[in-house]
Amino acid sequence: MTRERFISEVRACQGRLRRFLASLCGDASLADDLAQEALVRAYVSSGHFVGNFKAWLFRIAYNCFIDNLRRVPAPAVDIDSPEARRVAGDAVSDAAFRHEELQLALALIPEKERTAIALHYFEDLPIKEIASIMQIPSGTVKYYLSVGRDHLRQHIRL
Amino acid sequence: MNDIEQFLRDNSPEIPDEGQFMIETNARLNAVEGIKQTVEGEHRRWRTAVIVALLAGLVLGSAVTALIWLYPPQYSQVDSFLAKTVQTLKPWKEVVFGFIAFCAIALSLLFLPNRRRASSL
Repeated sequence: MTRERFISEVRACQGRLRRFLASLCGDASLADDLAQEALVRAYVSSGHFVGNFKAWLFRIAYNCFIDNLRRVPAPAVDIDSPEARRVAGDAVSDAAFRHEELQLALALIPEKERTAIALHYFEDLPIKEIASIMQIPSGTVKYYLSVGRDHLRQHIRL
Repeated sequence: MNDIEQFLRDNSPEIPDEGQFMIETNARLNAVEGIKQTVEGEHRRWRTAVIVALLAGLVLGSAVTALIWLYPPQYSQVDSFLAKTVQTLKPWKEVVFGFIAFCAIALSLLFLPNRRRASSL
């Protein structure tokens, strides 16, 4: 893949990629850093790439997010405790979300549920594509979506 | 569609404009391009050096073999340390050459992964 083609593909999907990462980490500037790290990784190995560019890029971005979680692990607190709300509140002082309660609720649910929710509802991706990005079976994606919705309902007043 | 699903679809996060992001991305890609070119240049030089060494080895090896065939040494008539060593090792030549070949293969196997690791970004 030439650099020009890579840039044009990136330009087409950078908005969705950054929004996906912003939903995962709740911080637009950290999301941009992770997106750039993902793009550098993708560019380095783009020479041998064939297939669905967007899904491939999202998978790399998801791996960058996981790597970042391992480098800077989230504080271990019970998601139902008031302490968890305070910690999540500290992490989400960002203007990426129109609905602050949603941002806070997403920060409180487990990372895999958050990823499935973000890809399915914010990026409108089909279950099969989410399964390929997260590298898990489709049935597990459906499970994460269902459990994730239940967890979000506990934190959001509709 | 249930309430939470509609709520999620209606409230997807907003992100700032692509302008600054694309400028920073281009700067990072330029840096990566620079590193890639340096590494590729190093690879080219390494490959050239290997080919030159191989050719030199072939030429020198052929010349020495030709000389030995043309003027075979008479070790029995020469009373030197080399002649004595060759005479001593003669019955063990398969073992000695086998050992040398084993060492060469082992060294190349140890050396290749290091080259690959050094060349990966």
